[in-house]
Amino acid sequence: MNSTRNYIEFVLDNKIQKIEWNGTHQLSPTTTLLQYLRSLENHKGTKEGCGEGDCGACTVVVAELENEKLVYKAVNSCLIFLPQVHGKQIITVENLAKENTLHPIQSAMVELDASQCGFCTPGFAMSMFALYKASGVTNESEILDAFAGNLCRCTGYKSILNAAHKALGSKTKDQFSEIENDIKQKLRNIQHKNGLFTTELQQYYAPKSLTEALTIKKNNNKITVIGGASDVALRVTKKKEIIPQILDLSHISELNFINKTSQGFEIGSATTLQQLKEAVKSDLPAFDNILSVFGSKQIRQVATLGGNIGSASPIGDTLPLLMAYKAIVTVKNLSEEREFPLTEFITGYRQTQLKEDELITKIFIPIPDSSVHIDIQKISKRVDLDISTVCGVLRLELESDNTIKNINLYYGGMSAVTKGAENTEKFLLSKKWSKETLTEAMPFIEKDFTPIADARSEAEGRMIFAKNLLLKFWENFQK
Amino acid sequence: MPNKIVHESGNLHVTGKAVYIDDINTPSNTLHGFIVTSPIAKGILKSFDLSDALETPGVHAILSYKDIPGQNQMGTIVHDEVILVEKDIEFIGQGLFIIAADNEHCALNAKAKIKMEIEELEPVISLEDSMKLGLKLHDTIVMESGNINTEFAKCDHIIEAQIENGGQEHWYLETQVSLAIPGEYDEIKIYSSTQHPSETQALIAEALHVGKHAVVVETRRLGGAFGGKETQANNVAIWASLLANKTQKPVKIRLFRDEDQKITGKRHPFLINYKIGFNNDGIIKAYFVDFNANAGYSSDLSMAILARARTHAENAYFIPNIRIESTAWKTNIPSNTAFRGFGGPQGIYAIEDAMERVALKLGKEPAEIKYKNFYKHDINNTTPYGEIVENNRIYTIWDKIIEDSDYYSRKKKINEFNKNNEFKKRGIALTPVKFGISFNTPFLNQAGSLVNIYTDGTVLVNHGGIEMGQGLHTKIGQIVADEFGISLNKVKVNATITSTVPNTSATAASSGTDMNGMAAKNAADKLIARFKEFLTKHWSANTYKCQPENIIFKDNKVIDLGNDLNNIEFTEAVNLLYLDRISLSAQGFYKTPNLYFNNETQKGRPFHYFVWGISISEVELDILTGRHKILRTDILHDTGHSFNENIDIGQIEGAFIQGVGWCTSEEMKWDKKGNLLNHSPDTYKIPGIRDIPEIFNVELLKNAPNPNTIKQSKAVGEPPFIHGLSVFFAIKHATAAVNDHKKYPNLNIPATHEKIILAIDELKNNK
Ligand SMILES: Cc1cc2nc3c(=O)[nH]c(=O)nc-3n(C[C@H](O)[C@H](O)[C@H](O)COP(=O)(O)OP(=O)(O)OC[C@H]3O[C@@H](n4cnc5c(N)ncnc54)[C@H](O)[C@@H]3O)c2cc1C
Ligand code: FES
Ligand code: FES
Repeated sequence: MNSTRNYIEFVLDNKIQKIEWNGTHQLSPTTTLLQYLRSLENHKGTKEGCGEGDCGACTVVVAELENEKLVYKAVNSCLIFLPQVHGKQIITVENLAKENTLHPIQSAMVELDASQCGFCTPGFAMSMFALYKASGVTNESEILDAFAGNLCRCTGYKSILNAAHKALGSKTKDQFSEIENDIKQKLRNIQHKNGLFTTELQQYYAPKSLTEALTIKKNNNKITVIGGASDVALRVTKKKEIIPQILDLSHISELNFINKTSQGFEIGSATTLQQLKEAVKSDLPAFDNILSVFGSKQIRQVATLGGNIGSASPIGDTLPLLMAYKAIVTVKNLSEEREFPLTEFITGYRQTQLKEDELITKIFIPIPDSSVHIDIQKISKRVDLDISTVCGVLRLELESDNTIKNINLYYGGMSAVTKGAENTEKFLLSKKWSKETLTEAMPFIEKDFTPIADARSEAEGRMIFAKNLLLKFWENFQK
Repeated sequence: MPNKIVHESGNLHVTGKAVYIDDINTPSNTLHGFIVTSPIAKGILKSFDLSDALETPGVHAILSYKDIPGQNQMGTIVHDEVILVEKDIEFIGQGLFIIAADNEHCALNAKAKIKMEIEELEPVISLEDSMKLGLKLHDTIVMESGNINTEFAKCDHIIEAQIENGGQEHWYLETQVSLAIPGEYDEIKIYSSTQHPSETQALIAEALHVGKHAVVVETRRLGGAFGGKETQANNVAIWASLLANKTQKPVKIRLFRDEDQKITGKRHPFLINYKIGFNNDGIIKAYFVDFNANAGYSSDLSMAILARARTHAENAYFIPNIRIESTAWKTNIPSNTAFRGFGGPQGIYAIEDAMERVALKLGKEPAEIKYKNFYKHDINNTTPYGEIVENNRIYTIWDKIIEDSDYYSRKKKINEFNKNNEFKKRGIALTPVKFGISFNTPFLNQAGSLVNIYTDGTVLVNHGGIEMGQGLHTKIGQIVADEFGISLNKVKVNATITSTVPNTSATAASSGTDMNGMAAKNAADKLIARFKEFLTKHWSANTYKCQPENIIFKDNKVIDLGNDLNNIEFTEAVNLLYLDRISLSAQGFYKTPNLYFNNETQKGRPFHYFVWGISISEVELDILTGRHKILRTDILHDTGHSFNENIDIGQIEGAFIQGVGWCTSEEMKWDKKGNLLNHSPDTYKIPGIRDIPEIFNVELLKNAPNPNTIKQSKAVGEPPFIHGLSVFFAIKHATAAVNDHKKYPNLNIPATHEKIILAIDELKNNK
């Protein structure tokens, strides 16, 4: 068929690379970008430390055209399927130096002892490089945010931070600025047609339009849908599964949008969490708070809002917050569109109302009235790049005399699904918003939840956290 | 800093050009090595049938224990580890069969077709259960000095306590990896991620039933090790070698992160009972401590680790009457192993905990109690094992850090803060370290080198140490360059290869630079003697007699201080020797002098010297979420006369953060069946960049040359790990503040957010 492509094209080493699936090809379409790079003779600088997005050793920079600008994003190459990089530029650690002249971030790292064993170094270098290419001055918290997805076991990080401050303190034009126009032209020349990559064992669809995607979904009910694949890719890297059919939504621009209206935000399901974080910062501060500790920047650059909802995991961090914002999920098949409040959309442990021929298309987040106070608290063993032990959200409206007019409490990590603490809410309603009432409310959490013990926490610990969050909300409210 | 010297591989690290084993471009016929491991923790492998599996397309070999040409044995000290299970299964992840295949998927297909009959037995997973059942791996070892019993009877106070610490996963960024390439006859070359190539070589030779001379192990660099590749790299190297030997093709095995975490050993969890006797003035009179280590299924290095726990049980304190008991207990988990500090952290943890309790009991400042009990200079300076503590630097360090850190006034402010804040509490703690340098086993304290000078004046140094990030090769390069007075870029340090320097010890016990540096210097000295002998003759003319002691090596030149005319380029001198047919290659050797230890009496002089340091940390705790922030850490640490300050500081910073990880977020749990629950970074949390102190001051002790060591320096690798304990005790103080320090919190290592809120809950509800 003329309108489909069986190949992908991307820029690597400043050249267009083409990979074709014409029946004889060795690579699987779910080969990860990391596996591909490491199979090349001259790209073994990119390392695998975990294969699950948790260490950052595999970090590379993907540059893509957004509104005619080249935007450089650090991502975990271990969780990206090759077809996802179609139409983009890949920059690896080997590309940073120009012949024998080190890039400023590299020389800062060498001079300030930012490497010991060196195994984490390529990943840090790439995260630092992405910051270097971001416009404007970089402040300390942006540096920490960018490195939260990179682990180092040797240095204790201080030398790496020193190097970052040095290199990012005085950005100048680098070799990438010089060739930017040329790269843009190359990327523009890459055709964006529907993609289908077939091997003996697999079919990978990368449609361009929603209708096309819905048609594929209708015809292939069991197909695995991916937004950013940050969840699904683990089935390949960790469980060693050969996923027979994939439907990749990442090339559908109709699903990637953020519209702000006077009522709220309409967000396409394939919008990445990093895009979302930046867009809603001032209107929905609680969103910014939770996304600051959601995975890592590398993860947020690919993970989508639709994916977080689609996972319907009890520890999905946006879920309790979306519930508190009274978000509406829109799903669609070829013939109709359905809408659900998120609380109703999720029906069980990793279960939703989604029918086999449907896709999540958008999420509407109403901007609450200024009298509504929303707070989210994620409790995890480590601040960054950790899954919630417990995640709690408060939505509160007070009367002028400080009695509670409306209250919602949603918890993740406390049961098989994200849900409200109904007994606690009921107890609190119409009572005074005070430390004492909240303390009195704590035992009601036990009526609402019977948490489990797992690798992250014991049941008893979870229960205390969930109760304590009531006081934490109170403490934050006072600020 | 005068002419700062950075890591020799820094440039390669940042450009991605540093080659680790998995980066070696392999021949196209290289096979993928795969291990079929036990799914159960204890049982009997009754029978198996590999015939169907062998038919799987893409599979070249599947080996069981029956296919091992030599010994089915890889225990390093005690021979209690099989390479592949014969009958008894002892932990989840133990190797049953190994497969060589075209790729991972072929191997997985083959694995699915292996038929086996396994009888499952009840495993023993927890240390408590093992102790209840009396499953000692070896007899309890006791070290004693003075008489605790008579002394306890005389003490004003006695405190008894039970504490514990968790294990710790090394989490080197590079997982275990090995590439084995068969050669001619019975030869085999192995690139292994090992800290101990000579041992890896020996075990492979025994497994293949060939001479050690047929086995060459090579290691260029490791992507981190921390003790986790001292014995734990062996199995992967042996498995790859067996498969390569069988198929006569190159075979690579690289463990996926989860596999690595599941099947390799970790730091030993300890259960510690102690009893401490002291007087009203805070002076410790007697200490009894009983160390119980969860050793896992085999001996590995457990007994050596207990030896270090014993010799660090008193830390920097003089305790006249002391009895230390130590036992390694067997459980059905992977055999626990070396990890930075090697039992030292556990030993020191106990006495520091005791000191804190003593202070609380007496209502005194903990730092004061610690200070009072430090080893003295001329009296009260004998360790429980009879070694005299020489060159005690704790007082110098104390004076400076107490002042620099503003300890006492900050402590006051913290008390004030705690009074005024309900949900946030702060704590500050000081912990000292005295760490003994040398392998506890005297014979291991030897090292070799081979230094070659080429006729263009460049120098290649071979030595037995492994570069794993610690900057060993950088320092060795500096040592040799300085000896010859040549620029650092004229010296290369080679990959570590068993065929150039044989019979070496592990790069461990922080002694890499001390020993290999001395061995390299020894070789350089021999060469210098040859230069001098030749040049004395060469430069002596009729009337002028050149004196060897006047010949110096400096600025890439060889100079005769007795005669201005005798001044030549180093390269020229090299060529003069060459033309005179003088060997430009020399072997060096070093053994640490004056070490001895009697295992019967547990007395001797096991350590060449001690490293000293103090750290002070302040934390802020959110008592609702259990989250702590390290507000500030000050470390003053003794590295003797450091000859690479930036590398030493990097080691201290990194070790400290690793110690903080052990003390706080790094938690390991097993289920009843023996499955490790935290087997990936998803649930096993090492510190990240936002976990480091907001203010982080690390300083080296100045003007502190160390006698009788290379360039008067001191070892640096392990001792600063102990500094992480200051964060643990600061958290404990912050926790205790919940109850106005009325009670000592029930909080063990690791103090995770969960353990902290549970301890707070207990304090608040007076449970
Ligand atoms: C290292 C790491 C850290 C993480 N940290 C966090 C964290 O802190 N908090 C957290 O909540 N999660 C975390 N996650 C989980 C994951 O990143 C998130 O759930 C993310 O939002 C998934 O988005 P995605 O687009 O990558 O999902 P994908 O992997 O593409 O998809 C996830 C699921 O959603 C379905 N799906 C995706 N899009 C649609 C759609 N449009 N219509 C219908 N179904 C769809 C898929 O079929 C799949 O079942 C982490 C994951 C990793 C690997
Ligand atoms: S390899 Fe660890 S994040 Fe990709
Ligand atoms: S330098 Fe070794 S992990 Fe960072």
